[in-house]
Parts: sequence; C-alpha cells; structure tokens
Amino acid sequence: MATLNINGQTMDIGEIDPSTPLLWVLRDELGLVGTKYGCGIAQCGACTVHLDGAPVRSCQVPVGNLSDQQITTIEGLAAADGTLTPVQEAWIEIDVPQCGYCQAGQIMSAEALLRNNSNPSDADIDAAMSGNICRCATYTRIRQAIKNAAAKMNGTAFYDATGAGETA
Amino acid sequence: MKLIKNDHLSPELPEFFQEFARKPKMEIGLPEVNRRQFFKISGIAGGGLALGLAMGSSPKAKAQSGGQDLSTLSPYVQIQPSGRINLFSKNPECGQGIKTGLPLIIAEELDCAWSDVDVVQADIDASKYGAQFAGGSLSTPMNWMAMRQAGATARVMILAAAAQQLNIPVSELTTSDTMVVHETSGRQWGYGEFAELAATMPVPDPATLTLKTRDQFKLLGRRFTGVDNHDIVTGKPLFGADTRMDGMLYATYTKCPQIGGKAVAFNEDHIKSMEGVVDAFIIDQFGNPKMFNPGGGDMFSGVAVVARSTWAAIKAKRELEVEWDLSDAEVSSWNDLVERAYALQDQEGEPLMTQVGPPDNRSSVPASKGDADGVLANAETVVSGFYEYPYVSHAQLEPETCVAKVDNGSVEIWAPAQIPQSGEAGSAVLMGVSPEEAAEKVVLHQTRIGGGFGRKLANDYVFEVVAIAKRMEGVPIKLQWTREDDMSGDYFRPGGFHSYTAGLDSVGNLTAWQDHFITSTGNDQIPMTSADINPNVFPMDLVDNVKLSQTMFHNAIPTGPMRAPSSNAFAFSFQSFMHELAVASGKSHVNFLLDTLGEPRLANSENPGSMHTGRAANVISEVARISGYEQGSSEPGRAKGLSFYFCHSGYVAQVADVSVSANKEVKVHKVWAVADFGFIHNLSGAENQMEGGIIDGISQLFNAKITFENGVIQQQNFHQYPLLRMPQAPELEVAFLEPEEFSPTGGGEPSMPPVLAAVTNAIYNATGERIRKMPLYELGYKLV
Repeated sequence: MATLNINGQTMDIGEIDPSTPLLWVLRDELGLVGTKYGCGIAQCGACTVHLDGAPVRSCQVPVGNLSDQQITTIEGLAAADGTLTPVQEAWIEIDVPQCGYCQAGQIMSAEALLRNNSNPSDADIDAAMSGNICRCATYTRIRQAIKNAAAKMNGTAFYDATGAGETA
Repeated sequence: MKLIKNDHLSPELPEFFQEFARKPKMEIGLPEVNRRQFFKISGIAGGGLALGLAMGSSPKAKAQSGGQDLSTLSPYVQIQPSGRINLFSKNPECGQGIKTGLPLIIAEELDCAWSDVDVVQADIDASKYGAQFAGGSLSTPMNWMAMRQAGATARVMILAAAAQQLNIPVSELTTSDTMVVHETSGRQWGYGEFAELAATMPVPDPATLTLKTRDQFKLLGRRFTGVDNHDIVTGKPLFGADTRMDGMLYATYTKCPQIGGKAVAFNEDHIKSMEGVVDAFIIDQFGNPKMFNPGGGDMFSGVAVVARSTWAAIKAKRELEVEWDLSDAEVSSWNDLVERAYALQDQEGEPLMTQVGPPDNRSSVPASKGDADGVLANAETVVSGFYEYPYVSHAQLEPETCVAKVDNGSVEIWAPAQIPQSGEAGSAVLMGVSPEEAAEKVVLHQTRIGGGFGRKLANDYVFEVVAIAKRMEGVPIKLQWTREDDMSGDYFRPGGFHSYTAGLDSVGNLTAWQDHFITSTGNDQIPMTSADINPNVFPMDLVDNVKLSQTMFHNAIPTGPMRAPSSNAFAFSFQSFMHELAVASGKSHVNFLLDTLGEPRLANSENPGSMHTGRAANVISEVARISGYEQGSSEPGRAKGLSFYFCHSGYVAQVADVSVSANKEVKVHKVWAVADFGFIHNLSGAENQMEGGIIDGISQLFNAKITFENGVIQQQNFHQYPLLRMPQAPELEVAFLEPEEFSPTGGGEPSMPPVLAAVTNAIYNATGERIRKMPLYELGYKLV
C-alpha cells in the first residue's frame, strides 16, 4: 500500500493508478479539498501545493512519481492549535477573498515566496504570483496582504488597508 | 437637486428576472415586503427567540413541518440563551459578499455586536425566503428593508421581555452591543438573559418599528471582512466542488464539440473496461439547451462516464470515441458573421421595437424617437463609427460541478448555483414529478459558489448530474466538468456590432443618435439572451432624436448573462463613441458628458428606476477631480481616459492612466473610480466589487475572445483565453458618493463596464488611434 507524507503525517492512499495527479488524490482519496481544480494544465495555479517547500501545480504531479517528499497543502499551514500563519492572517485582515476559490493556491504561492524572501519587492511579488489566476481579480489586495505578512514576520509596521481598528 | 427615495424600489425586478417569474414552472416568489409579517418560531434547543418572516403557506413548508403552520416561517434571527446570535443569509454567495452583507443589515437594527454573530447559510425555499438568487446586483436592494425590519423586530421583543423580567418600564431601557442597558442605574444585561421570555412576547407590527437613521448606524458603513474568510484561508470545505458523500461516485459528461450534436453511439466496451469505470451511457437531449433557460431542465445530449474517482472519469472521457448526429448542430462561424456585419455598416437594419408596460400587459412600440434623419441632415458635425466586440466566456475559476442523489423518485442536490430555485424547478421537470410533488421530492442545498459572473445562472450542469444520478439510483454522483467542458460549453456573452452616426449642433451639443445594432437570433424572432438592446442606454435616453435599427443573424451559439449583461459590451462601444463625439465637439470630455446630462432630473420622469442625471454628473465631476483628469500628462505616450456608465441602478465614472510604447505595449498605471450606489453598507465589500470589476474589464478588453467555426468553439483552456495576472494589475483608487436620500443598490455589475472605454479613450488621448474593436490583442496591443 502506497503512502504519502502530507502535512506532517503519513497517509495511506491504497492501491492507486500511478498516473493520478496528486490534486485528485488529495481531493478524492484523502478529502483534503482545500486544494482546487481550475484548469488541469498548470495555467491557473488553483492546485498549488508545496513539495519539499517548493510550490508546484499538483494537477501536474503524477502520484506515482512521489516517494518520500514532504507535501504541504493549505490545510497544513496553520499550527496544530489553529494559530494561523502571518500570510493567512493578512489575507483575512485585508479581506482578500471574493469568491475565494483560487485563494488556497494564491496563499501557497505567497507562503513559498516569503520563506525565501522576507522583504519582497513589487517585482518579486509579480514574479512569484504570476502563475496564479484570480478571476475575481483580487490582485491589489493579494499584493498588499503579502506586504503586510512580510511586515508581520519582520516585526515592522504595516499598512492596514481595512482601516485600523475599524474592521470587525 | 430633486431626489427620489428608493427604499421601496424592491419589487421592481429587471426584465431578465421578471421573465423567470412569469414562467409557472419556475416557482420564483417575488418579494412582497408589505404583505409579509414577522413571526416567532419555536424550537431553539434550550429555549430562546427565533424570528422569521411569514411568506405564506406552501406545500413545501407543510411537508417539512408535518403540516404545522410554524414552518411557513423563515428564520432570519435566532437568539440563544447563551447570547450567541444566529443570522441567516438567504442568497447564494458567489464572491459578491452577500453572505456577509445581508446579516450585517440585520445586526445593525438588532443592535448587536458583530462578534456575537454566527452567520448561517439559509436553505433554499421560495415559500420561506421569497426569491433567492445571485444576479442583477439585486440582493442588497431587494432585501434591505426586510433585513432591517427583521433586526428591529427582534430588538423590540428583547426589550419588551427585559422590561417584564426586570420590572423596569421599557421606556427606561435601551440597547447597545448585544446588551440591554438601564441608563439610570448603569446596569446592563446580555440579550441571552431575555431570549426565552422574548419568545413569548407579541410580535410588533412592522409599521410601529422605528428604524435607525444613517447617523445612528454603528456597523453599517464600516469595513467588514468576509464571514467565510477563515474557512477559505484554511482550506475548509465550502464550495460546490468540495461536496463529498459516503459511497459517492464521480462523473464526467462529454457533449458534441459542434454545439447541438446528439450522441448516437460510443466505444462503450472499451470505456467500460477501463480501470475505475463503473458505468458509461448516453443521455438524450432534453428541451432546447441552446436557449438560456435556467428552470426548464434543458440539457444537451452527451456521454456520461461514472467512475470511482474524478481522475478515472477524466481518463475515460479522453478515450471516448463518439458518433454524433449533427442534424441539429450549429453551423455558424464567427468570422462569417464579422464579414457580413462589416458589409452592413453603411446600411440601416429593421426598425427596432421595444416592450413597454407592466409585465402582464406588455405592448410593443417603436424604440426610435424624434427625427434623427432630419436633424442629422442639418447637423453642424456628423460623426460615424463602426464597433465590434466578440463572444466572451465567463471563465469562473470553479468549473461547473454538482452532486445529486436519486432515491425512489426523489432527488437531493448540492449545487453552487446562482438561481438555485430554478435548479430545483428544472430538476423536478427532469425527474418527471409534478410541481405539487416537487416540494417533497426535489431538495437543493446551496453551497458557496467558486465564481459566478452569470455562468451559474444557468443550471445545465445541475440537470446533467440529475439525469446521471437517475440512471445510478441510490448512489450519490458528483459531476465534474473539465475546464475544456466549461470554456467550450458556456452560455457566452454574445458578440455584436454597432454602426453609429451622431450629430452635433453649432455649439457642439449632441442632437441626434443613430445605431444600427447587429446581433444574433436563435429563433428568427428575438435576439439571443443578453444579445438585445433597448432605447434606455446612455446617452440615447437623453437625446431627443434617436433612430435604432437592428439586423439579426441566425446563429444559436448559446448565450446568457455575464456580469453586467449587455452593458459589459455597450459601455465599450457607446462610451468610446461618446469620446469621439466629445473630440469632434471641441469640448473637454468632462464638459461634453455634463452638457449631455443637462439639468439634474430623471432621464425618464415616468420611471423611478431610470438614470438620474444629477447623480451621474456628480460621479463624473468627482472622478475628474481626484484623478486630475483635466490636467493631462506631459509624458509622451501617456494619457488619461474617462468613461461613465449607468446600469443596474449604479452610477460609475472611471479614469484610466495609460502609457503606450512604440510597439503598442500598454501599461495601465492606475484607475480611479467614483461610484454612487446609494448608501454603502459594507465598505470593504463594495471596494472589492469595484476593484474586481475594473480589472475584469481590463482583462476582457485586451485578451478575451471566443470564436467558433462551423459551430465548434475554438478555445479550450486558459492558454487560449488568457486572463489578466498579477504583473498587469494597475493601482486602484475607489471612492463612493453616498447621497443621504438613497438606500443601497448593488455594486457587482455596474463596477465593471465603464473601464473598457476609459482605457480605449486613454489610448486615443495618448496616441491618436481610435479603437473600435475588442479585444485589443487583435489590433497589435499587448497589456504589460
């Protein structure tokens, strides 16, 4: 029986067609439905997960190609006690989501960016996020949320686009 | 300025939704606020107040309650003895923020702290909640008063219970932040302490309620973040795509690439032998699915594959070899239509008629007015322009998906649908159950929608999974469309053409307007859905001499409403041509628009829903001011462009600051928007709609085009239909005018249309090149 290392746990995936993309294993076999299907051809980024810390499009990763890599999905970002990451917090505070369908992929790309670059420029953000489509077009808020998350991680002040103390 | 109060505009549904309401099988209830009464509902665990609106008796409500009258009440407010408050949000959430917005309105009048509130997505039941849909930017205006009354009613009952329980005159009690306050003594108590007794208090007559004035609002008008945000950022199941059930099987459905072809046979033995495949079968066409009809059960013929996983179903779909009967398939080609349209650009079409009068007594009258021919013959200046825009796909990021389970002639459905009540009605038709039985036998649960934009107003994917589940009795079936299914199987925004001629008098005022509108028809009688025009489009509604004619090409490529239907295309062509006229008039664009608007008034004095020219002028003047529009730019190849549009009761003016390089690379640096949607009750939500609408418009302007050849859609996925990405997103500045006299209207749709012409007008101002065709990539422009 095959296993995967997902969000710090070893998970059985049973006997499975090795051509099955990781995306569908997560969603159908393991019930980790936070990772989304959008295009199936690595154009939209909705299915982004981390493979050993690097963002990958899970619709393009046949499960048969995986062995002992560490896989992280949107469900595995927050701490066990529910504490959110600075990126997740910033996403809520800036009120980034509209429909919300792409946001798991956006957040996984943003988390990967900030792990390698704690103070990204606009150009860095453009480069790291250009693989993720947001059809509702929340791009300006995503950009601000990444900057706010970086400031939180660096302990510096950040711009509160929702109005300081005003937001419930 | 004379202003019209519109607190009670709710029952005025746009034509589009009136059409649904007229169809008997649709079962969409219209809101009748004045006839509804609030009532208590019993049954909160542990006691407490539950308050609902009575919508009258219905078979569905009776069936659910075992015949008791209580269940004809819809819960909006539940106050638990613990003090926690459940507020029920009735309409589908597709990213427009309504799941947050409607409960906020209740919370304001209930005078509770937002942190004490849990928002619950309501069931689908027209008999309890009236019309439940996400469309037309109508959710807020249609529910504004009822939601306020729901909150105020519960507050009055809490106060009455507190007075009795505390033996204090009610006149000495007030409320604040979920607390009953006795100001004389300084004592205060949580609402929960009175919840049980409140449930026994008489329900006040709505006419006796005192609603807050705007300056008394504590919540409304501020920024509130989405109630599902935490679940979204942690990946919790929310969307239609996330529905999972024990024993669920996964399905794909493959339709004819040439739209309307019917499946005759397929390589059944091979498909059924594939790993993970459980069954595969042909489903016949039902109804006339080329025509947009969300409540009829209409669906195309195709081949269903049912498998143990989505991947197995997709793999089998890829190996399908299907024989199609093409006798009813579409044969039209976009390039042919373009060629035929350009050949007509100097001609007039058939005189256009328009429908007037109440829904039950429509009459047809000419859409033209005055003497456009005569005025044009004597005009100081005559300007002409021929405009083209293409078919466009909604491309919402969640491809169509739905779960259904059929048992003994009943069906239960989990759907991310924008008109879920029509999804139920059409499923009843497909199931062959009568409208009387449908209340018991067809139940649809609404899920969060992973993007709508109008695509999920159609329920074809709901009907497909019901038809599949009917063949797989007792098994929950999840249908998953691929992106290719979605992009080639849309109810598209229709393409069209306008041949404009307009006249200016000696002082540059607009005196006559002609439009030969060229569009498509599926039945040779009326245009396809969202492919029609009416004489109320700005500026035609303000010009004395208008001649509107129309040519319809037979072409039944399916079309439907997309965000700001009609307006999303008209705003580009009408407001680009208005800028052509402004240039010809010698006036500034701002002054030409303001002169055309004239004195503050309703454009049509008999229609309170028509454009108010004063509100229009205010947003134009304000966006010009904050953007520095009149100052221009000293940088070569860089300029600002302006556009205004009125639709869905919303007034929006936008200015785009654009650079164009020698090789036609276009950078949109910044867009300013000023809108009047009446009172803004959640500022973050309204800003989000405006920000998204602007970028949506820019994305479509440059890159969106669907083409068809011999009835086959040519674009399949995002590599052939690119959407705007992060590097191309401009800086945005959004402001709202909120005249005191107007209650809220919706922002989802009117936020989008003006920006297209704001950008093309900016490109003209920067380069002198007039753009009369979308998308811009076909003219050599590239958005960077």
